[in-house]
Amino acid sequence: MQSAGDIERLIDHRPRESVFRVHRDAFRSEAVFELEMQRIFEGSWIYVGHASQLPQPHDYLCSWIGRRPVVLMRAADGSLGCFINSCRHKGALVCHGGRGNAKAHVCRYHGWAYDSSGRNVAIKARAQAAYPEAFDAESHDLVRVPRFGEYRGFLFASLADGVAPLEGYLGDARVFIDLVVDQSAQGIELLPGNVSYTYRANWKLQLENTLDAYHLTSVHPSYFRLLDRRAAMGERRDVAPAVWQGRAGRELETEMGSFGFEQGHALVWTKAPVERHPLYAGLAELERRVGALRADWMLRTRQFCLFPNLQLGSSAALQMRVIRPLAVDLTEMTTYCVAPVGESAEARRQRLRQYEDFYNPSGLATPDDTATYEDCQEGFRSGELEWQQGTMRGTGAMRAGADEHARELGIAPATSMHGAFDTADETVYHSVYLAWQRLLARGAPR
Amino acid sequence: MSALPPPEAAELVYREAQYLDAQRWDDWLALYRDDAEFWMPAWKDAHALTESPDREVSLIYYSARAGLEDRVWRVRSGLSVASLVLPRTAHAISGVLLADGAPEGMLELRSTWTCHVYEVERAAQHVFFGRYEHRLRNDSGRWLIAAKKIVLMNDRIPTMIDFYCV
Repeated sequence: MQSAGDIERLIDHRPRESVFRVHRDAFRSEAVFELEMQRIFEGSWIYVGHASQLPQPHDYLCSWIGRRPVVLMRAADGSLGCFINSCRHKGALVCHGGRGNAKAHVCRYHGWAYDSSGRNVAIKARAQAAYPEAFDAESHDLVRVPRFGEYRGFLFASLADGVAPLEGYLGDARVFIDLVVDQSAQGIELLPGNVSYTYRANWKLQLENTLDAYHLTSVHPSYFRLLDRRAAMGERRDVAPAVWQGRAGRELETEMGSFGFEQGHALVWTKAPVERHPLYAGLAELERRVGALRADWMLRTRQFCLFPNLQLGSSAALQMRVIRPLAVDLTEMTTYCVAPVGESAEARRQRLRQYEDFYNPSGLATPDDTATYEDCQEGFRSGELEWQQGTMRGTGAMRAGADEHARELGIAPATSMHGAFDTADETVYHSVYLAWQRLLARGAPR
Repeated sequence: MSALPPPEAAELVYREAQYLDAQRWDDWLALYRDDAEFWMPAWKDAHALTESPDREVSLIYYSARAGLEDRVWRVRSGLSVASLVLPRTAHAISGVLLADGAPEGMLELRSTWTCHVYEVERAAQHVFFGRYEHRLRNDSGRWLIAAKKIVLMNDRIPTMIDFYCV
C-alpha cells in the first residue's frame, strides 16, 4: 500500500459507465489506515476545537491532530495558538485535563515552564546546569503547529506547512457553518456536558452514516415508532414533542438533496416538518435577520460533513460530532449539543431532550447506528477483492456541478442531487472518496 | 438517626438491580412513582457533573416514569438493532446509606454500584460503575422511587449504554 497504483485500486470509478465502487480494504487495511493518518489527519487540515471552549486569556484546550497530542492556548493578548503538547525536555504532556485556565504550564517531570503563548519561561535550575552553548542556542518553546486558522469560531490546524490556505480547504463549507452560527445574532455555544464514546469499526463508517438517508427507516424504526407512540398517548407533558412527532414517522419528509464538494466535504438535506423545530417560534425575526432563503435552509434537516473529522447535524437538534480514529477498527467520537446563544429556556429544554434522545450513546438512536458499524466491520473479514455496493443509489438523479438548490445558496459543489426522499442518495459519497483518494495518493511513488 | 436505612428501603435498591439483571422490566417500572425523575448527568470536567438538566447536557434525563416506559418499549419492540440481543448484566450494589436532607416522608439513599456487561454475540465484556442517589417516598406503606440520579464514573462509553446496564 505504498504506490499510487495501490491507492488508485481502492476506488473503481468509471464515470462513462456510471460505476463508482469503494474497495473494502479502505475500511479494513492497516496500511490504508497508516496512510490516512499520515496524509489526511496529519497531512491536511483538520478540525481541532471551537473558540468558545477557550474564551478567556490563558484558557487552554487539549486536542489531537491525528495521533499527535496538541494543545490550543489563548495567550494574554487574546490570540489563539496551537502547539504540540509535549515538553521539549523529555516529552511529557505539558497540558492536562482536557481544558482549563493557566498562565503558566509547568511540566510535571522536571518543572520546565511555558506561558500561554507557548514560550518557555523557566528551565529549572538553569544557572547551575552547566549547559553547553549548543543547548542555549536551541529554542525551548513549545513547538507551534505549522498552520492554524479560525472560521467563525471553528478552529482548524495542519501539521503540513505546505498545505493550501484554510479558505480554500473550507470553500463552500463556510456557507453551511454560517447556517449554524447565524441561528442567533449572538452566535452559538456548545452546551456543557461531555459526551464521548468509542465504537469498534472504521472511522469512515461514521463519515458515511451521517450522510446516509437510506438507513433511517431500517436502523431507526424504534425511534420513529416511539415518537408516534408518544404522540398517540395524548398530552405527554414529560417530553417535548420531537421534530417529527405525530407526523406518521418520516412520511412527510418527501424531498431530499445532496452536495459533494471537491475538498471532500458533503451535505445531505431534507425538507422536514418545521413546526416543532426549536427555531420555529422565532421564525419571523430570523427571516428578518438572515432572509427568507437562509431561514428556510436553517429549518431544513442538514447533515454536513467537513472532511475529514467534523460533522454538523441539524435535525432533531443541532449536533456537532468530532471523529478521532484510534485504529483501523476503533474510533472515538466526541459529541456536542450546539445551541444558539440566548434562546428561551423552553426552547433550550426542548433542544436538550431531543438531542439526548436521538444523539447520545445513551439515547434511542445512536446506539443503533454504532451497533451496525460494528456489524459492518465484522463483515469486512469477507476476504479478497470485495467491493462495497453502497455508492450508486441516486446516480440517475445526480448531476455534475450546481443544481438550482446550490445556485440559490451561491455554492459550487462538484456534484448535486435532488429527488424524492426515498431516493436515499449515495452519490454524495463520490466527492468524499475522490478527495480521500487524492490526499492518500499525494506524494505516493508511482 | 442511624445512617443505615430501614431494611425495606435498602431492599428496594437491591431489588431494582435484581429486576434489571433478570430483565423483569414491568417489575422494575413498578418500583417507580409516575412522576419519578430519572437522571444520569454528564461530566463537565474531571470531577464536576452537569447540574441542570434544563440548561446542560445529560446522558439520560426523564422527568417522569413514562420516559422509562419508552425505553422498555424500545428494547421489547424488536426494532432496535442495538437491543435485539441484550447483553447479560450483573449489578453489584454496596454501601447503601441514608443521606441528610430528605423532605418529610421521603428518604435519601446513597450507594455505590457496578454493572458487569457481557455482550453475548461478540463474547466481549466491560464494566460500568458509579454512585446512585435514590429518593424514596412512602406511598401508603410502600416505598417507591421518587427520583434516581445515576453518576457514571467511566463515561467514555464503549459503543452504547442503556437503562439496564447502569
